[in-house]
Amino acid sequence: MKYVIVILLLFIIFSLGSAMFYLVKGQGKSQNTVRFLTVRVVLSVLLFLFIILAAKMGWIETHSPHFLNP
Amino acid sequence: MSELSKDQYYVPHLAKWPIVGSIGLTVTVLGAINQLNSENPGTPWVLYLGFAIILLMMFGWFGEVIKESEDSLYNTQVDTSFRMGMIWFIFSEVMFFAAFFGALFYARNFSVPWLGGEGTGLSTNEVLWNGYEGVWPTNGPADMGGRFEIIDPYHLPLVNTLLLLASSVTITIAHHALRANSRKQTIIWLIATVLLGATFLFYQVEEYVEAYTHLNLTLGSGIYGSTFFMLTGFHGMHVTLGAIMITIITIRVIRGHFKPESHFGFEAVAWYWHFVDVVWLGLFIFVYII
Repeated sequence: MKYVIVILLLFIIFSLGSAMFYLVKGQGKSQNTVRFLTVRVVLSVLLFLFIILAAKMGWIETHSPHFLNP
Repeated sequence: MSELSKDQYYVPHLAKWPIVGSIGLTVTVLGAINQLNSENPGTPWVLYLGFAIILLMMFGWFGEVIKESEDSLYNTQVDTSFRMGMIWFIFSEVMFFAAFFGALFYARNFSVPWLGGEGTGLSTNEVLWNGYEGVWPTNGPADMGGRFEIIDPYHLPLVNTLLLLASSVTITIAHHALRANSRKQTIIWLIATVLLGATFLFYQVEEYVEAYTHLNLTLGSGIYGSTFFMLTGFHGMHVTLGAIMITIITIRVIRGHFKPESHFGFEAVAWYWHFVDVVWLGLFIFVYII
């Protein structure tokens, strides 16, 4: 299940990078920057929902909350 | 200054703000060093002075650029240079966070397991740190800062993730509204973004207070404390800067600046906010959860 998180994160970074590419390349007339930023937000919401689901179902383990150095 | 043709490059006269910014950063770093290294540092006046100079630089520099832009002093050459400046700025930001995420990754996956005896670290563990298990989270075999507890990711950090995600949704709605020339909608959603960002910062401070007063988790808690506070602290500073910039963008939209087909200032700040949100997602997963 960790792979789903990593793949979603990679897609998020890719869409953020694409938005940057069109921000730098364009003169502000193209819709591509805002389109890729919208994709980025939608993917991030999906990732957030997946993390909640994965935590509820016990698919991912967290190191919290442990007492340390007992 | 007369209007420039398309090919002429605009060179600003007496650009004092870069040196003011450098002085501000130097004073800030000196203040921070003093605060971290003194036995009894007291009120961090030098640090405050540094922040004040940086704020002065931001407002002065932003003000000049906004005025020059509104006076139509900028041509397509300058527009290109702003875009180039943005990509270099973001490149430096990516490298900055890569260094801290890299430090976390290296410590968790290499240094700590080696000290615990993995791989070639067997004799290191037996001779120097016998009995140390090398399991994350850790403040290291020397027990730096004493016993500590860590933040539960499914309380405040979860709320903060939701807040920052919501602020990304609101700024995206504002972005679409500006492109559709719907100014009222743009202003409403920008204000919502600033409020969500400010609430995030409020809860981040709450979390730090909780860490210091109840969990004994401090900047001095070995490798865990260092990486935790450096990553989340610098991220918090980025949220602060982003919120200030969105506030300025909101005031500009209220004053009638930006057009649906020409709004680089807006788009660059919106992109920066998205970047800061993505960094937080990385923090939420790699610092708080896993």
